[in-house]
Amino acid sequence: MKRKDLILHLIGEISNFLLESDPRRLVISLHQEENGLHLCVLDENTHTEDELKRIDHALNSRKRPELAGYYGSMTGHDMLGASRLNLLGWQVKHCDVSSIGSGIKIDIWLGGDAFQNDQFTIPKKKED
Amino acid sequence: MKCQTAEISLSHRSDVRESVKEKIIVNQNKTLLLLLVFIMLSFIITGIAADGAGRAFSGFLDLQFRPARLISDFMHESGIGASLINAAAVGATGLILILVAKVQLSGAAFAAIFTMMGFALFGKTPVNILPIILGVYLAGKLVGKSFSEYIIIALFGTALGPLVSMVTVELGLTGLSAVAAGTGAGIATGFMLPAIAVSVLHFHQGYNLYNLGLSCGFFALFAAALFRAGGHVFEGLMLWHTSDSAVLIFMVPVLSVILILTGLFSAGKKSLKDLIAIQKHTGRLPSDFMDLESMGGALINSGLIGLIGFLYILLIGGDFNGPTIGGLLTIMGFGAFGTHLKNSWPVVIGVIAASLVFGKSLTAPGVLLAVIFCTTLAPLAGAFGIVTGLIAGFIHLVLVHQTGAWQGGMNLYNNGFAGGLTATLIVSVIAWYRSRNSEFK
Repeated sequence: MKRKDLILHLIGEISNFLLESDPRRLVISLHQEENGLHLCVLDENTHTEDELKRIDHALNSRKRPELAGYYGSMTGHDMLGASRLNLLGWQVKHCDVSSIGSGIKIDIWLGGDAFQNDQFTIPKKKED
Repeated sequence: MKCQTAEISLSHRSDVRESVKEKIIVNQNKTLLLLLVFIMLSFIITGIAADGAGRAFSGFLDLQFRPARLISDFMHESGIGASLINAAAVGATGLILILVAKVQLSGAAFAAIFTMMGFALFGKTPVNILPIILGVYLAGKLVGKSFSEYIIIALFGTALGPLVSMVTVELGLTGLSAVAAGTGAGIATGFMLPAIAVSVLHFHQGYNLYNLGLSCGFFALFAAALFRAGGHVFEGLMLWHTSDSAVLIFMVPVLSVILILTGLFSAGKKSLKDLIAIQKHTGRLPSDFMDLESMGGALINSGLIGLIGFLYILLIGGDFNGPTIGGLLTIMGFGAFGTHLKNSWPVVIGVIAASLVFGKSLTAPGVLLAVIFCTTLAPLAGAFGIVTGLIAGFIHLVLVHQTGAWQGGMNLYNNGFAGGLTATLIVSVIAWYRSRNSEFK
């Protein structure tokens, strides 16, 4: 899949999810590098702790190449029914979900094997 | 400083969460591996006990080169023992591939292995599935995908095993040329499957659980047309084992109880809580219940589905044979990957209602299999409600009686094919209807 198509599908799925709660404002920011990208999505709706946990669980689920390579093709494409963040979670490198007072901030990083954390704002793990 | 401490604590919490998750997955992999190996060994032992080792193994070798199109109940020609050993061999092939590809044993893998074993009672053999798997592998190589990314397509794509058998034994070829032609046809078939499977997924948007049924049916339409153009006539096959056997009657309930007990022992009360949580999912592809809830809840769900399916066949006086047991194994497998009691019953009632309206016997092979396999449409009821489920089941029965002939019986997942077309129709109508009254005019 071409990078442009992949980005479009990712944005489609994540915005489909956030638009379900009908926010007045939705901000999507994209930062691209040669080997990866950072997508940041913000809205201004109130989300409960449980909701944040569920979003975090779906986006940070274990990588499932056997599902991502096949069913992942539905990401941001087939919009009849509820959005499915796990489709997205299987394909990304790392996700952060945080509450920003009046809304939510979802950071998504994507990249290949040559992905360089330093070029992005991805939080470093303890062992790094 | 305060900020740094908070960051470290967050990172620590995330590491702990990761390590707990990792431990659960390792335990799940071990349990499922042991369970699947135990089931396969039980099949072999039961097969030998039923027919004796000599008859069972010679029958097993014999059915590798038999026609396998719908409906070819291997028990009818080669015996119960041979069929059970064949099921274990086909299941083991799938399991070995999963282990080699280092894919997590979870709902999808569990469904794939159970489906393969089920259909190995009436169509799949190690000989007719391997060329297809090789074709899928080669397709992945061509587009730079690892085999693990296509393994689900490869395992479910073995539905077209009868196409390989047909080219090998039904076209009048002999010797090595027959084997070479069958193998070549299988590789070519497998090579096409990833492209089709991904595309047709968008037709029904994940509301038909047996997507490879639609994919293989779609491909088989072209293959059947090609064979017909070459002058081949598809003669109908109806090999249906009817004699009663305690082994066949008690196989599914015993297996169901084993799954339920494994589920209960794995997490006790939590498994029951997860079972209830599973009933709230729509089941739309891909709903891996082991991932979304837990392995324990998913195994109990599978076991319950098996028991209810068994009771239904017992109640109406249906036959316990290769196709019906294969069907029950398939829906039990999908009990971990989309099917549950709450989303299934409306579709099943829809099929039963249609059969009564059109005066078809509930014990007739086509109707009996449709009642079992119509649960491919369960996500429609799960997502859009009972009425949609009833309508889907009704349409499904009408269609499934036609689709087998269209594709020459070469696609074993004929209900997945009909279900895919039904789901496509219903999803199209719902999507169109939702487009009414656009807010911005």
